[in-house]
Amino acid sequence: MRILLSRIRENFLGSKLDVILSITGALFIYFILSTLISFILNSDWTLILVNRKLMLTGLMPEEEIWRAWTIFSLTTILMTTSIAFWFKINIKSSIFYILLLLIPLLIFTTKNTLLYVLFIMILSIVFFYLGYRSKNSELKNIVSRIIMISWIILLPICFLILNILDGPKMTLWGGFMINLILAAIAIFAGFPLGILLALGRASSYKLIKLISTLYIEVIRGAPLVAWLLLAWFVLPKFLPNLFGLSDLNIVVRAMIVLSLFASAYIAEVIRGGLQSIPKGQEEASFALGMNSISNTIFIVLPQAIRIVIPTIVSTFIAIFKDTSLVFILAITDLLRIGRLIPEQQQAFFGKSIESLAVVALLFWVVSLVLSQISRTIEKKLNI
Amino acid sequence: MPSSLFTQFKSEDSIKKKLNLLFRNRIFRRFFIQFVFGIFLLLLFFYIVDKALNLELGFGHLSSRAGFGLSHTFIIDYNSNDSRWMGYFAGVINTIRVSLVGIVLATILGIFMGLARLSPNFLINKISTGYVEFIRNTPLLVQIIFWQLILLQLPHISKALTFGGLSVFSNKGILLPIISSNENGSLWTLILFLGLIISLILRSRLFKYKEEHVDLFSPNLISFFTFVVIAIISFFALSIKLSPSVPEVNINQYGTYIQSGGFILTPQFAAVLFALVLYTGTFITEIVRGSIQSLPKGQTEAAMALGLNTYQRITLIILPQALRSIIPPLTNQYLNLTKNSSLSVAIAYPDLFMVSRTIMNNAGHALPMFVLILITYLTLSLVISLIMNIINLRVTRIGA
Repeated sequence: MRILLSRIRENFLGSKLDVILSITGALFIYFILSTLISFILNSDWTLILVNRKLMLTGLMPEEEIWRAWTIFSLTTILMTTSIAFWFKINIKSSIFYILLLLIPLLIFTTKNTLLYVLFIMILSIVFFYLGYRSKNSELKNIVSRIIMISWIILLPICFLILNILDGPKMTLWGGFMINLILAAIAIFAGFPLGILLALGRASSYKLIKLISTLYIEVIRGAPLVAWLLLAWFVLPKFLPNLFGLSDLNIVVRAMIVLSLFASAYIAEVIRGGLQSIPKGQEEASFALGMNSISNTIFIVLPQAIRIVIPTIVSTFIAIFKDTSLVFILAITDLLRIGRLIPEQQQAFFGKSIESLAVVALLFWVVSLVLSQISRTIEKKLNI
Repeated sequence: MPSSLFTQFKSEDSIKKKLNLLFRNRIFRRFFIQFVFGIFLLLLFFYIVDKALNLELGFGHLSSRAGFGLSHTFIIDYNSNDSRWMGYFAGVINTIRVSLVGIVLATILGIFMGLARLSPNFLINKISTGYVEFIRNTPLLVQIIFWQLILLQLPHISKALTFGGLSVFSNKGILLPIISSNENGSLWTLILFLGLIISLILRSRLFKYKEEHVDLFSPNLISFFTFVVIAIISFFALSIKLSPSVPEVNINQYGTYIQSGGFILTPQFAAVLFALVLYTGTFITEIVRGSIQSLPKGQTEAAMALGLNTYQRITLIILPQALRSIIPPLTNQYLNLTKNSSLSVAIAYPDLFMVSRTIMNNAGHALPMFVLILITYLTLSLVISLIMNIINLRVTRIGA
């Protein structure tokens, strides 16, 4: 008790300033919490219950929903496996991950998809256990390789699932799914392109250096909304009239622009990593008889990327948040759905804040998972 | 080496081996790769130019009558009969206005929250952590829309909150009392600003002089006196009359409510500003925290040993040192804030991006407008970088 009291005195009432700060802080926290709690208790959340399907997949027809859920199952299972396999698991972090997994599931589960949720839950637990057990077994290397490969082929498989057997038109994709897909594509395509650009900017070839620098600076010069608008107005006129490229649908155009935009930002991050590699590494690899290509691929790049992993993940988070800007292309992403519900459904007129709160919560959960993962990697690599 | 290349060609090996040798030559390889790349680029360039020539080019359309009104104009008076150029400049000024105010407020918020993040006080620490974790991980666009919704939930103007007649809070905006003056007021403000700069320069010069020569006067007092003299002389020369302007709501003869006086924060401007400040503030918080944490702990301990109090410790020891590593990433955040202000298009605050979009919708000419947008944002970025570089130079010089 005395320890507690002295701890309190030290923490809250150390000096006059501390007393004032503690009191204002307590009042502030009380104000925020009371507003939040009264908002949560006083608002009518049937809005989500009715529109769960709309929020998850937008205007996708009901009979195609299985595609979205299959993708979610695959991603969730892969994610739990990798977390179990790569990360140190303690009770605190596992509770955190389980809670975060539950929030989207609770929001999105409907009667028709209950089976999917159960399926995801059971398989996740099984794979979590398997991943955890194989961490220290002889199969370690093989499992690690399998997980890596699955992450790489995850996106093509998702596309296959979305398009196989007469899939819905791309313009019908929507809701939270399209945010996740756009972010995944932008990261998947932007990352290799970003590496190339970073290498180009660090290259000794003057022309390549000039072009990479110009590209990076111009892309970073204007905001993303401007580039998206460019994709809307101008991009189709510049694409060749081959294979129907000139009338690409708006979702693909958004994907192209997001990837190009992401690549410029990723390139800048990786350039920082490249600059921090001491010159001795390069000289040593030349002394070992490597040529400049294998030096780049096997010596410089792995070290550079390792250093900047946390920054890259925060770039990924930024890209994920930026997918909400596709509102300007009239793609029905989560935010647009969240704004349309209170405008178009009579039962929910004027409930904009509730619907926006759900949208914010979903974005927040995914970003929080990513930033947690980045923090774990940071600790693990000891950067 | 070109000469060795020449001798290599003279040897009588097979062509394949010659090519192989040629390609192993560094200078040739560099030249060859860049040549191929250059040709590829040239082709791409011609392709793009060819396609671009089919589009509407030129800025001629910007000189004709705009035909759209703007809800916010600042400094320049604009109406729908002016040219599109004028509309565009009004948009640029709106962008600069929201970015400038945003940058100042976000910096203040970021520094305070960054210090709070390191505070041993549990409550303050947790408030700062919660602020960063929550605001940083939600999209800025969601926040802008959220603030607009909140501000539109304020009471209707007929039931506006007045806080004892000092300000008006309604869903038409927030009116705050200010001191207003007659028509020379803006000129006087400009002179005051110049006077402030002059007296600051004078102060640093005097300090330098004092250090080198005599220790008889107080530079602080002299420079303050200079400023006051400049202010008073210009005050009487311009015959300024100051009067407090308190906002009020009246009903005119048609029964509509008119709000007048004071300084107005419209819901759109306030929403964009709040969201930008809070969002950018989280990043600045993290920058400040990181920079302070990277300082050796001995600095704080030494300051404590010298008997400095918390305020002196922060302003005299910690912040000046931390500033050196704060400023480069801070510049980046300022640039981001300026670019992010384009999101105000979602809630119809007429910044330069929204005006350009309106012009594009009205008159076409999308490509030239994009070039214009790009040039404008690049110019703004360059100006910010330039100012920050100058500050950075000063800060590093003081520290060294």
